[in-house]
Amino acid sequence: MKVCVKLFGTLPAYYPGCYPDMGLDVEIPAKTSVAELVDLVRIPPEQVAIVAINGMLAKGNQLVPEGAEVKLFQPLNGG
Amino acid sequence: MSFLRVNMTTETVQWEDIPEEYSLLGGRALTSIMINNEMSATVAPLGVENKLIFAPGYFTGTPLINTGRLSVGAKSPLTGGIKESNVGGTVAYSLARLGIKAVIIEGKAVGDKYFLLNIEAKNTASLVSADNLKGMRTYALAKKLHEEYGEKKSITCIGPAGDFQLHSASIQSTDLDGRPCRAAGRGGLGAVMGAKGLKAIIVDRQGKIPSEITDAVGFQKAARAYAKDVQNDEFSGQVLPEFGTAVLVEPINAAGAFPTNNARFGQFKGIGKISGETMARVIKERGGKTQHKGCSQCIIDCSNEFVTEKGEYVTSSLEYETIWAMGGMIGNDNLDAIARLDFLCDDIGIDTMNTGAALAVAFDAGYREFGDADAAISLVEEVAAGTEMGRLIGNGPNAVGKHFNHSRVPTVKGQGMAAYDPRAIQGMAVTYATTAMGADHTAGWVVDKNLEAFGGTVDAMEATGQVEISRNAQIHMAAVDSAGICDFAQSGLATEAGINNVFTMMAAKSGQVFGREEWTELGRRVIKAELEFNRKAGFTKDDDRLPPMFYNEPLPPHNVVVKVSDEQMDSTFDFLRNTP
Ligand code: SF4
Repeated sequence: MKVCVKLFGTLPAYYPGCYPDMGLDVEIPAKTSVAELVDLVRIPPEQVAIVAINGMLAKGNQLVPEGAEVKLFQPLNGG
Repeated sequence: MSFLRVNMTTETVQWEDIPEEYSLLGGRALTSIMINNEMSATVAPLGVENKLIFAPGYFTGTPLINTGRLSVGAKSPLTGGIKESNVGGTVAYSLARLGIKAVIIEGKAVGDKYFLLNIEAKNTASLVSADNLKGMRTYALAKKLHEEYGEKKSITCIGPAGDFQLHSASIQSTDLDGRPCRAAGRGGLGAVMGAKGLKAIIVDRQGKIPSEITDAVGFQKAARAYAKDVQNDEFSGQVLPEFGTAVLVEPINAAGAFPTNNARFGQFKGIGKISGETMARVIKERGGKTQHKGCSQCIIDCSNEFVTEKGEYVTSSLEYETIWAMGGMIGNDNLDAIARLDFLCDDIGIDTMNTGAALAVAFDAGYREFGDADAAISLVEEVAAGTEMGRLIGNGPNAVGKHFNHSRVPTVKGQGMAAYDPRAIQGMAVTYATTAMGADHTAGWVVDKNLEAFGGTVDAMEATGQVEISRNAQIHMAAVDSAGICDFAQSGLATEAGINNVFTMMAAKSGQVFGREEWTELGRRVIKAELEFNRKAGFTKDDDRLPPMFYNEPLPPHNVVVKVSDEQMDSTFDFLRNTP
């Protein structure tokens, strides 16, 4: 199944030429978790702090539904 | 080092040796503990007995990076409680290099008299008549004072909002380019300065008095290791220089915690137009600066310079909180209008957050439509013009809510909340409610711990564990604010080795044993003094609550309300209240 992964902050650096609003179309097996998806797109997990699936906050063990828009953000600091 | 005590009533200045009890304190520890010790908590905030204290951090003036921070303390006219408002720029470093540990402003100018305080060197300071400067905006004022007193001066001043003694008035301070764009925004301390009859403090930037450090070699070594950690950290080394704090816009919105249309929603449709990524692209396309040094001794450069399509300067240091307050909170997705509003707030001398919340309450009450950026701009202009509506906006969200008889007012202890909805990040509910400062995000920022996808310690939408993380963050931040370390340089103390560097420097400077226990004790002592002051000022547990809207209205898209109970709120600092 297909999902769209959007990268923010410093994460687009892993895909030169990729802007946050463009998104990567990624083919994933059914029952893929957030953590597995991060692995699939080859971003070191310690670089990903916040994940949102279809505009809702997600945790690492959550499954990614078909056609989802997944936003990945790097760790945050400070206020 | 010395205290500079200024009496505005008698128009005299006095240099004092530092009493033993204050010698190891700096920044927020110094302002909060002094205020609690020296002053009755029941004084009128705009009266003759309130004291306005400016104190550089304990590390300010040392070779440690990112320590150009100034704590400004007083009893707040906005909250009626104690306040510490923190600002960068060049003033703290300049004061420290003149050997000044704190400037204490007392009394109140007689009649309509207005003054400048000119600090030229240690033991050389004077009050200069400035009746003609009342009403002047901060950019024009800074320019005029630089022309008259020279470029190598740091200027800390108020604008028309402070002159009018409005409760959201800020104290603005100049950055390394001499622009008054750094704000001690929170708590209306600009009104206290205006009430004292003090328009500006001019501080010479060429002081060379070295910081007193017992073990200079040990200090240097730890300071170098600390700087290396900050440089190597991805967030402070790469993200902040590129996007500034605006990098938070997208993730906080994605988490459903971006208060929109006066906190009716947790996500904003126009988010893509005002995100940090968009701002950085716009600034670059127009030839502005995404990376800009705002404060002395900074190696992060989180500030920026926003320009028009023609490349003309609009504002400096457009930050996350302002993008939210003048953006999502009032339904405005026009980045140019946000930048303009940021400039106007700096120029008029008013807190962007409290003002955004005040506008949002007015819009929510039906005074104007959400998203009407032109209305927002003209209302902020009205603050400077001194119209009735301008005064309401300038006095903050509670004043606006009262005027329109509108109950949706997102404040705690009278201060407008920051850019994290407490329903979607419940740890911030605890911080907003329990800090002595009123709804304040920097008092205990627990956003990261709430939102982490991997190994996250708490569920952002549940109460469990929130009290503990907020309590720990608040105690830690009180110590950070006392050391004078910039919030964004905390990557240097994020690891065990990093925080140990800080302990080493504390010990090296003071010549005393310093470890984790002393660090926590410092933070606790500060918070204890602040809570004690507020209690004496009449605050009770009932003041440590959020407004009803956060308990009653589920916030879309997660449709949650604040679940932290009153008992849980009260347990945050019970142990401090009970100890003698
Ligand atoms: S990181 Fe930003 S706020 Fe901190 S010292 Fe540098 S410019 Fe100032």
